[in-house]
Amino acid sequence: MNDKIVFGQYIYRNSAIHKLDPRVKLCVLFMMMIGVFLIPADNFILLGIAFLIPLTAVILSKISLFKYLKSLKQIAFIMVFSFAFQLFMPVGKNTTILTTLPICFSYVNIIVCIFILVIYFLIRRYLPFKFLFFLVCLIGIIYLLRYPILGKAFYTTKLDISEAGLIHGSFLVLRVFVIILASTSLTLTTKPTDLTNAIEWLLMPLEKIKIKTSIFAMMISIALRFIPTLFNETNKILKAQASRGVDFNEGKFKDQVKQIVSLLVPMFVISIKRAEDLADAMEARGYIPGAKRTKLVQMKFCIGDFIVFFVILALLVGLILGRCGLYAL
Amino acid sequence: MFIEFKDVSFKYYGNEQNILNQLSFSVEKGSMLAILGHNGSGKSTIAKLIMGLLEPTSGEIFIEGEKLNEKIVDTLRQKMGIIFQNPDNQFVGVTVKDDIAFGLENHQIPRDEMIRKIDEFAKLVDMQDFLNENPENLSGGQKQRVAIAGALAMDTDLIIFDESTSMLDPKGTKEINQMIQTLRKNYQKTIITITHNLEEALNADRVIVLNDGQIVLDGTPKEVLKEEAILEASGLKLIDGISLINMIQNYTIRIKNKEEIIQALWELTFKM
Ligand SMILES: Nc1ncnc2c1ncn2[C@@H]1O[C@H](COP(=O)(O)OP(=O)(O)O)[C@@H](O)[C@H]1O
Ligand SMILES: [Mg+2]
Repeated sequence: MNDKIVFGQYIYRNSAIHKLDPRVKLCVLFMMMIGVFLIPADNFILLGIAFLIPLTAVILSKISLFKYLKSLKQIAFIMVFSFAFQLFMPVGKNTTILTTLPICFSYVNIIVCIFILVIYFLIRRYLPFKFLFFLVCLIGIIYLLRYPILGKAFYTTKLDISEAGLIHGSFLVLRVFVIILASTSLTLTTKPTDLTNAIEWLLMPLEKIKIKTSIFAMMISIALRFIPTLFNETNKILKAQASRGVDFNEGKFKDQVKQIVSLLVPMFVISIKRAEDLADAMEARGYIPGAKRTKLVQMKFCIGDFIVFFVILALLVGLILGRCGLYAL
Repeated sequence: MFIEFKDVSFKYYGNEQNILNQLSFSVEKGSMLAILGHNGSGKSTIAKLIMGLLEPTSGEIFIEGEKLNEKIVDTLRQKMGIIFQNPDNQFVGVTVKDDIAFGLENHQIPRDEMIRKIDEFAKLVDMQDFLNENPENLSGGQKQRVAIAGALAMDTDLIIFDESTSMLDPKGTKEINQMIQTLRKNYQKTIITITHNLEEALNADRVIVLNDGQIVLDGTPKEVLKEEAILEASGLKLIDGISLINMIQNYTIRIKNKEEIIQALWELTFKM
């Protein structure tokens, strides 16, 4: 039973970042988000300073860099797309055009591009360096579109790569990079339950205006409790179906749909039954949605928490004041 | 009387027929009642009615003399705990500790007391070494023991076991059954055990057999066991040869007839 999935990315280490109060970590992440998007779009020095915050967390957390890179990989595609989008975005007139990419579409061009895409999607899953392969394909396609291969192009256009576009593009990617690094260091060093408790605590003021945040928190914590159970259940059903000859990767599209349905239906029925049972069990044990409860978990701030919080807050306030000053000038 | 049912009928919303028909019975404080019946005979429905999770369509239910109704159901529930069939679906906490705490948190027990109780009752069900464990890493029997600790921590007078062992392996089943005996003898809890397994009913003070929404048999295990025909008609599997042999393996009296087997079984279960 080694394949039991434990939900969440949390990795236990005995580090200062792990011991930091989850509420502080959450606040810091939130302030980072605001701060990073307040930094003017060409100020790489400020962004560099912002980058130091998650970097410190990464170093102090004693978790291998590889784990961080893994979660960055997941959004690499989005980053490339937003970079390309910014790169080719037409910007104002008073910027230097670095280079111009001619784009032309002819039938052969398009067919070759589609062919490359098909190949890409077919062999992608067998390759170790997916992301590199993706980049190669992308650049290959852009170069293919430079000149019409065989015959006349039926549509031509030009894409300008401007200095401003390049700067905006790389700045956007770096911004996202900093935020993702920060949120990854939060999820890697904080137990999901601690995070739930922190969210509940931070949302407490909303209780005053009669929003039942405790119900919301209970929902998250129930979800956290049952996600691994549902995963294991899915695995069990998959194995059961496989032993009856169902192959989820092969067959025609229609068959595949049928097979997925054969997985979803039992999952759905089981989940409904679970929800019913769980509601009964919770009610029988005296749970009343929204009622006052005491808490087993007790969160206590210590000096370090305050220091971290106020240092980051000071940085953010400084940045905001700086920006206001900028506009005032 | 701890629990009293007076002409209780129940019908699920949208159903034509009553699941329970004019049911009347009572449970004495400190006694152990077994409710027997085939699958779908309405046993769980009775348990949910007692816990106030369902409301009778007609009739009345009294808990320690007080009529169960919407207004006082929350208070009356504090006297009762239930262990359901599926170990997974009643495990609310993310860890063992959290799960035992769940009921205590609901009843607004102060934190210090909560910690003390968790330690005390985790030890009682022999789960003290697993306090920070996730349910994923526990066996079914262990999860059921955590559920028992949760009920005990709330200091309930009554504990209902609704087929709590039917999803466990033989080892888990044995553990839970021994636990039930302990609760009854050392903690004077009132116990209702619900089962479709005749063997498990033999430890009870009293057995009622349910069929077609009605009580068809009511008496001591010894009396009920004699009514072979009714038991069979109620869809209950009689104790088969192998379990019988297992049960009387160490029993040295030579047994001549059915009367004696029943007598032997009965004495045996009281010795356990
Ligand atoms: N929520 C429900 N809605 C409608 N019918 C139900 C519901 N729950 C149970 N039943 C029906 O009521 C009958 C008795 O169920 P139950 O009390 O769970 O039986 P037992 O526990 O003895 O197996 C069954 O026939 C079942 O199909
Ligand atoms: Mg049942």
